[in-house]
Amino acid sequence: MPLRRDIIKTAGATSLALALAGCAGDDGAGQEGSVEVLHGWTGGDGAEAAEAFFGGFADEFPDIDIDEQPIGGGGNQNLDQTVANRLQSNDPPGSFAGWPGANLERYDGVLGDVEEQVWDESDLASTHAEEAVEACQFNGGFAAVPIGSHRMNDLFYNVDVLDEAGVDPASITDIDALVDALEAVDSETDATPMAMSLASWAILQTWAVTMLGTQGHEAYMDFISGNGDEAAVRETFELLEEIFENYISPDATSADFTELNQNVMGGDAAFIHEGNWVAGAYINEGLEYGSDWDAIRFPGTEDMYGLHIDAFVYPADNPTPEGTAAFLRYAGSESGQIAFNQYKGSIPTRQGVATDEFNTYLTDTIEDFENASQKPPTLAHGLAVDQSTQSSLEDALNSHFADPFDVDAVTEEFMDIV
Amino acid sequence: MKDIFSYLYKVYKKRQVRTDGGVTEETAVNNSWRQLPIVQSFPFWGPPFILMGFFVYAAVTWNFALSLTEFSGFGDPDYSNLGLQNYATMIQDPTFWQATWHTVILLVVFTVACLIIGLALAILLDREIRYGNTFRTIYLLPFALSFIVTAQFWRWMYNVNDGIVNQFVGLVGLGPYNWLGDPRLVLGSVIFALVWQFSGYTMIIYLAALRSIPRDQYEAARIDGANTLRMYRRVIIPQLKPAMVSASVVLMLFALKAFDFLYAVFDGYRPRQGADILATMMMREGFNNSEWAYSSTIAITLFVLSLGVIAPYLYTEYKRGNL
Repeated sequence: MPLRRDIIKTAGATSLALALAGCAGDDGAGQEGSVEVLHGWTGGDGAEAAEAFFGGFADEFPDIDIDEQPIGGGGNQNLDQTVANRLQSNDPPGSFAGWPGANLERYDGVLGDVEEQVWDESDLASTHAEEAVEACQFNGGFAAVPIGSHRMNDLFYNVDVLDEAGVDPASITDIDALVDALEAVDSETDATPMAMSLASWAILQTWAVTMLGTQGHEAYMDFISGNGDEAAVRETFELLEEIFENYISPDATSADFTELNQNVMGGDAAFIHEGNWVAGAYINEGLEYGSDWDAIRFPGTEDMYGLHIDAFVYPADNPTPEGTAAFLRYAGSESGQIAFNQYKGSIPTRQGVATDEFNTYLTDTIEDFENASQKPPTLAHGLAVDQSTQSSLEDALNSHFADPFDVDAVTEEFMDIV
Repeated sequence: MKDIFSYLYKVYKKRQVRTDGGVTEETAVNNSWRQLPIVQSFPFWGPPFILMGFFVYAAVTWNFALSLTEFSGFGDPDYSNLGLQNYATMIQDPTFWQATWHTVILLVVFTVACLIIGLALAILLDREIRYGNTFRTIYLLPFALSFIVTAQFWRWMYNVNDGIVNQFVGLVGLGPYNWLGDPRLVLGSVIFALVWQFSGYTMIIYLAALRSIPRDQYEAARIDGANTLRMYRRVIIPQLKPAMVSASVVLMLFALKAFDFLYAVFDGYRPRQGADILATMMMREGFNNSEWAYSSTIAITLFVLSLGVIAPYLYTEYKRGNL
């Protein structure tokens, strides 16, 4: 009968051997494994879009296996953190969903280049909108491929509530008209005039669109490039203060935009400004575009398209360079862009895509995208400024402009940060 | 058993021999270090010492080294140019002072409230009331729940429009209040929820201490004419001091790292203005902004604060001969 000590020794040696074998296993494989893709589309329209998109890839490339890893929660916070941890520990996935533009700067040193394998091979640079091409460039090459774009300067409204208040949306062409409309809703109906979440990113988004609408495209671009005019920044905050003080709901500081958007759908709120992902909720709810809900451009931004881009990013030291390149080529292709965007409620960044699969609202948006005279990059979603600047701006808003509102303090900080 | 005795006897003999000086020098040197109690007890203290040393103390030291670098983003930290610049930045950072202030308020108010409420509950339960065991379980139950779960409960209960807390205060004509949105209320609301969750824990600690006090002392105090209040104040509560000290150390250490509850309530690393504490700031700087060195600096500050809490406790225990 073996001694207990011997058994323990044997067990220890076996597990050590197994552990070593496990470590060696990764390097031993000569062939590429499945392409791991991390993204944050876990619920609602996002999950549907991911299903259509990855399903489409599987049909087109049956030989390449995709290991899809949806990581939801916290408005991409969990996804970003997982990505950061993986990149930090030299264990990059094949690709991950993220914002291109200035946001890529935070990944400096860990991004690869897919110019030759993806962009040149599929001729993406000439088929995608120039803003999207530019946003994916990094360190003299291409580190990402755009998958779609949400519009960031829409003002959505509940048609019935506006009818009841006697407001004609076509008349809202400047910020004063908007304030008058909010006042009319407030006095004529029981609805909250503006559904607004005072989460810092939502305030930043609303501030950016208000600045575009009231101070103009040039003032906005000057601000994000670090040459902001203090008076323009201050005036934007003063206008927002008036709206936030008088026309938003008392739970604005604690409710998130999905809850508040429910109020718009239910007729308890009139307007909401958000990225056009909120439209996905209306469509999912079976509400009719034009008769139940509708959208105008945020006053003053009628000829602009507020630019947001989602992309798949390519990390360096890629575990599956061939498979990932094929996946990224698909992401930039017409079929990939249609599969994803028709469900996501966003529009393709690829130009000249057939619009038959898209609903009326998105078809209108695609048309606007092509005709817009300016496409200012979003400040709250990574395109305009790098992550640490965006985070500092959000900190400033959280400290000084999330009820109570301190225009002086927040203006000063905004001017210092950018 | 026999082997052990014979071994001990051999050791004993050798020692005797050595004191006589009748052993050759070589053997003495060879044996002396092996005979040292610290060497002989190595199998017992060695593994935990190495594991703790590596995973705790080395990690703390490494964290301190990181805080002296300028490490941010990806890649590897550069240890060639160490300096205190992060500490200088931190001292000038108003967010840091705000977070420190909130941490201190949380620590003090939370600990004191838990100790008082826990004591009151323990005394009530110790008076052999009917269904005492049931109440004990009810009071302790919140402590058994995860913070992620309780945070979600409180989010619902604190809801401005239809939360039960506002319904409740509405009965007496107050409110509605924005418990988690108003910067003046938010820290208080968080502390209240945490006290709810932790006072059951303090209650159990006190209850155990109360149960160990002989009943005679209650009777003696009664016979000497003490009323209930006086009896507790003069006889019983002074004997609960050791329980109070250990409970408050646990509570204060918890308060310093009360991260998960805030993370779950505010759905991220950026709590509402008025509720940002050092732990959330540390996570935000590290995992949101990839400012690893600055995040480590805040971590070291938290570590020093924890030492500040635990050092007096360890010192008094040492003085008493309990360590």
